[in-house]
Amino acid sequence: MDQKTRDELLKLFQGKLNEAMKFYLETCTRCGVCTEACHVYASMGQIKYIAAYRHEIVRRIYKKYFKGRGKIWPSVGEARELSEMALEELYEAAYSCTGCRRCMVYCPFGIDTQMIMSIAKLLLIGAHTEPEILTLLADTSVEKGKSLELFKEGFLTGIKNLEKEVVKKWKIEAGETAIPVDVDGADLLYVALAGAHSIVPAAAIFNAAGENWTLSFFEAVNFGAFVGDPTKTKLILDRIVKEAKRLKVKEVCICECGTAFRVMKQLSGKQPFEVSSITEVHSRYLREGRIKVDKSKFKEPITYHDPCQIARNGGVIDEPRYILNRLSDDFREMSPEPKYNWCCGGGGGLVALGEDNLDFRMKSAKVKADQVQETGAKILTTACENCHTQLSDLNSHYEMGVEVKFLSSMVADALMQ
Amino acid sequence: MEIVYYIILIPMVYVAFAVFFVGTGVRLVKLFREPRNPTTLQIFPDKRPRWMWALHDTFLLPTVRRHNPIFWVFLMLFHISFLLLIIGHLELIGDFRIFQIVQHEVFLGNGFVGLILSISLLFFLFRRFASPNRDLSVPEDYYLLILLFLTVFFGSQMDWARRWYDYGNLSVVEYREYLSSLLYLKPHLSPDLTSSGHSFMLVLHVFFANLFLMFFPFSQIMHSFLSLPMNKLRRG
Ligand code: HEM
Ligand code: SF4
Ligand code: SF4
Repeated sequence: MDQKTRDELLKLFQGKLNEAMKFYLETCTRCGVCTEACHVYASMGQIKYIAAYRHEIVRRIYKKYFKGRGKIWPSVGEARELSEMALEELYEAAYSCTGCRRCMVYCPFGIDTQMIMSIAKLLLIGAHTEPEILTLLADTSVEKGKSLELFKEGFLTGIKNLEKEVVKKWKIEAGETAIPVDVDGADLLYVALAGAHSIVPAAAIFNAAGENWTLSFFEAVNFGAFVGDPTKTKLILDRIVKEAKRLKVKEVCICECGTAFRVMKQLSGKQPFEVSSITEVHSRYLREGRIKVDKSKFKEPITYHDPCQIARNGGVIDEPRYILNRLSDDFREMSPEPKYNWCCGGGGGLVALGEDNLDFRMKSAKVKADQVQETGAKILTTACENCHTQLSDLNSHYEMGVEVKFLSSMVADALMQ
Repeated sequence: MEIVYYIILIPMVYVAFAVFFVGTGVRLVKLFREPRNPTTLQIFPDKRPRWMWALHDTFLLPTVRRHNPIFWVFLMLFHISFLLLIIGHLELIGDFRIFQIVQHEVFLGNGFVGLILSISLLFFLFRRFASPNRDLSVPEDYYLLILLFLTVFFGSQMDWARRWYDYGNLSVVEYREYLSSLLYLKPHLSPDLTSSGHSFMLVLHVFFANLFLMFFPFSQIMHSFLSLPMNKLRRG
């Protein structure tokens, strides 16, 4: 690697060094308490998958260039030059970590591995060695934000075609729209994913609850966050913030997508609207009696997978349980404490990488498959698109014999007129 | 030989404390002046009051207790003994009334503080010889532990000598004279201190302690100060 490239990469590194990041980089005592925390290590047993080992790959470069010690006595901390080989190690560390932050629960100091890995991801972007597909997807989202008019027509036609499906689940009065779009002054802006499964059940439930809602033009998913590009993350987020302000909504409701929810909730700053996950909204409707569900609809035992970005990292823990106890008399917890739930193994952009890493995704999530099977449940439900894809892949790979369902679609299927 | 004793017991001590205080102070100020992270770093569920839970996490190490109970026992013993050790050293300078709330002889702990520290340090060291901790550790981790062990071990020797094998030539009186002379910037070494049969232990103890103090601000032991703010971040 030539000096110019290295300097540019180190500038990117420098930009990531805020207070918390420096705490995390200065403090690890390499005590090994986090060893058992990572599902990848627990499933595959290779040292390189221990959280502290992953940090150390980034930390060695930090010690070399950002600590006086790195010049005087580099060997004491095994400080390491930023080289092509270091980039390969960074790739291996960052793209085998789902950013689930389970290890943060174990660490006596609470070191955030996801945050340290965000340095690795940014350096990879700087060196153009990140997974191209993620950047491509992020760019598409950004473009869409810039030129809404271009794709508006196609979007509206697509939505019109879905309305019949919505009405099948919940009848509406004549003159009402099944999927309202671009409604100025609506109370709630629903940000979905591309695909009927994310729009149809949600729409039926909003209509059943008599919500004054409107569907966003944009999809919720934030590929900028997956690839670890702070600028693109913000651009993709801002499209939605702008739309919400333009329509003067009181609440932005994010569909079943963990990263989108966490980014919107925690990164959008102070805004004139609230941010909620669709799970929170559904549990509120049930609590307030705005919708009713039929408990006899699902007879088999149900278990729920807490998506890391929504539960441990987003705080939505009680709401799905409230919903499930309304849907079933046989709801079974997977983990004694939700913050200890195993990651599905698909986060951090890994699912979006598709077939390329299917093998790794399956091997690294063995503990997840075991955990689901121990519950004896027949229905496995979750509230995140990524988790759903990964859990479905696990279901066929390990022949788990469960049915993987979105929580929102279970609510929609059990709606009572 | 005398000149070596002199250098270790007087100028080097001043240098070590200067590096320790200035180094730690400057590094902490620099760290706390960095911009805050724009988003919360909290782990849920939320528990209140958050600062109480952060203190709880910092001082009781609940995650270690849960995931590695044996390690936890040694860690608690070590850190509590370390606190007692600091108090013990303060009493080697002069009398502090509040410390005598629990009546004791200087050096406090009947020699057991040093013993516990030595054993826990050996435990910390040896656990790093086995995989996977061995693969995680870097030289810094071993150096620190070896340095502390040597410091604690030679320090304890002096204590044990007096208490357990009746060696009376060096006593608290001599230590107090030496340490307070350092504190009042009128350094003075009495011949009793440097020419007794156990003087070499004092010199080695002080030598290793000096090295430790000088390494402290630049090492992972900064966790002593950073653990609380980091745990607060996790608690939100
Ligand atoms: C609030 C204060 C402190 C907290 C929460 C804390 C926490 C911890 C933890 C979690 C470890 C385990 C890591 C390991 O095995 O390396 C540890 C180890 C250690 N701590 Fe502390 N500590 C604190 C203060 C101190 C202080 C004041 C010292 C003074 C020198 C100290 C010295 C050590 C040493 C020597 C180890 C063993 C290191 C090792 O195994 O490599 N700690 N501490
Ligand atoms: S538990 Fe925390 S301090 Fe210990 S090795 Fe892991 S990251 Fe480092
Ligand atoms: S964040 Fe999750 S995947 Fe990454 S190291 Fe920690 S436990 Fe493993």
